[in-house]
Amino acid sequence: MTDNQNPLSPHIQIYRWHISSLLSITHRISGVINLLSLILIFFWVLFLSFGESNYELFLFILNSFVGKFILLGFTWSMSFHLLSGIRHLVWDFGYGFEIRTANISGIIVIISSLILTVIFWLLARGLI
Amino acid sequence: MKEARKWIVHRISAVIVAPLFVWLFFSLISLSTKNYQEAIYFFENSLFRILTIALFFTGFFHAKISLGEIFEDYINNKKIKDVANILALILSIIIPIIILILLIKI
Repeated sequence: MTDNQNPLSPHIQIYRWHISSLLSITHRISGVINLLSLILIFFWVLFLSFGESNYELFLFILNSFVGKFILLGFTWSMSFHLLSGIRHLVWDFGYGFEIRTANISGIIVIISSLILTVIFWLLARGLI
Repeated sequence: MKEARKWIVHRISAVIVAPLFVWLFFSLISLSTKNYQEAIYFFENSLFRILTIALFFTGFFHAKISLGEIFEDYINNKKIKDVANILALILSIIIPIIILILLIKI
């Protein structure tokens, strides 16, 4: 067998993490979680079509402690994916590639996603 | 679909999906504190129904392309990758069609 001389990808366990790599994998994970959110909306409409008693059961699950925790997690995932997606779009136009700029925009995405989650949740639940 | 074209439609679909998803997810959380009639009243609005259907078709289209990229990066076995892509394709067609039918019936 001949030796494969192709360069290897950086091994994920020994690769030094930096903010852009962390945000890159989190962007993918949050995208998959957003797909679950869309499936949750699908079940919302489905239970609505089943009639009032079934819909009450759906609301009961959604308003339980676990339900609220999941909804809050989905809200953060949506906020993060939205802001990180804007960062990617800016990159697509050729801006923000400098290491310092990429690091700062990454930190802004993380902090803003948390702030947006709180504001979104408070507004949606009618708490402010 | 050619890769460059896929890249462009992925970005365009993201721009369409983002506001629709924020709006409908906000509505879900908001209506989770309201009763059945309020939710029915929400979906009786024709514009809201059209936007919801648009979100599901565009959203699942966007997700199908994204999942294809993830499968390409993380699944080595070609057969498993093909099956995963077919399942994602079926899901991205069936769920929006069911939503379309449900919203017509509500």
